[in-house]
Amino acid sequence: MYRIEIDPNLCSGFGACADLAPELFALDAGGTASVRVGESDDPRVLDAAAACPMGAISVIEIQAA
Amino acid sequence: MKPPRSVLIVGAGLAGARCAETLRAEGYDGRIRLVGAEPAAPYERPALSKEFLAGERSAGELLLRPSAYWSDNSIELVLGCRVDAIRPRPDEVVVIATGARARRIRAPGADTAHVLRTISDAVALREELHAGRRLVVVGGGFVGAEVASTATRMGVEVTMLEAGNAPFEATLGVDVGDVLARRYRAHGVDLRTGSAAVALAPRRVSLADGTAVPCDVVLLSVGAEPVRELVREGVVECGDAAGGPGHWTSAAADGVAAARRILGLEPLPAQPPFFWSDQFGLRLQLVGDTRAAARVECEGSDDSFTARYFGGEGRLVAALAANRAAEVAGFRRELALAA
Repeated sequence: MYRIEIDPNLCSGFGACADLAPELFALDAGGTASVRVGESDDPRVLDAAAACPMGAISVIEIQAA
Repeated sequence: MKPPRSVLIVGAGLAGARCAETLRAEGYDGRIRLVGAEPAAPYERPALSKEFLAGERSAGELLLRPSAYWSDNSIELVLGCRVDAIRPRPDEVVVIATGARARRIRAPGADTAHVLRTISDAVALREELHAGRRLVVVGGGFVGAEVASTATRMGVEVTMLEAGNAPFEATLGVDVGDVLARRYRAHGVDLRTGSAAVALAPRRVSLADGTAVPCDVVLLSVGAEPVRELVREGVVECGDAAGGPGHWTSAAADGVAAARRILGLEPLPAQPPFFWSDQFGLRLQLVGDTRAAARVECEGSDDSFTARYFGGEGRLVAALAANRAAEVAGFRRELALAA
């Protein structure tokens, strides 16, 4: 299980995360990305973090409850 | 199109890493070897001139992927291995993703000046930057401007030698260049425009106008050149080695594109170029290509502004957001439609 966080100071709304995994990330009207779900076991969260040009997405592996 | 039995990727930077990742993500099940000259697993270079230089991020925090990722995906990572020659195996595709090397000027002492391209370059530079020391940045590149910004925060006295009339005038235009010049000087940088270094002695840089700048450390920031010694017919080239613009997103996209070519997949739609730089409290984010610009429209203040670049026929070709991250997505959409 992964906890997903987006640093709002780094996010520039580039949108690579939402392109990769629209179920997990959304671009809001202000142009920054937000997480649709705080936690997920979808491995694409790792791809989204790697794809972010600003390095704004951090993924923390957590123990499933 | 039948995929090859194995893929050998030379160069474990962003483009090479993205190529390997994409091959696996698209279901390729042959052998993948990713060979890097540096000892570190694929990492983020943009932070080298910023958080890493300042000691705020460690080498481990720069990794593109957690270390287990490569073995989990059966990607053989061969590190610390400089490739001199290649003899492909039967049914093997060779990808050249060897990146770029920092350019040096032709001047006495240029061989021993610092450049910043790799983790070890950054470590060597960091060891010499202490409060009160004097750094001369030769050249008007983005790496040099970011190092100057980081160094001033560390209490280093910085002199920047810029050949043109203002920083990034050629790329971003004279209005933005003037804003940046004011900003550098307000942060205590001794910015010398229209100046060129002719000799770099260990403790002084001599200029073309006959003056000299005493210093403790010299950094060359005069761009990069592609590493192409291994390029030959039949290889797949990608990233900076293939003459890319040296931007993070271009190298990443090019690595993906190389993998898709190898697998015979359709190319993904092209995205407008994107580039960013953090310097002196400004986050500059540029979408598009300013080389085609004939006219610039600026709006805002020195601390937060946008610049729109229009081509000869009045079409938007690029847009710059300075401390206006929220505008980037809109620019990106606008320029994607214009392309």
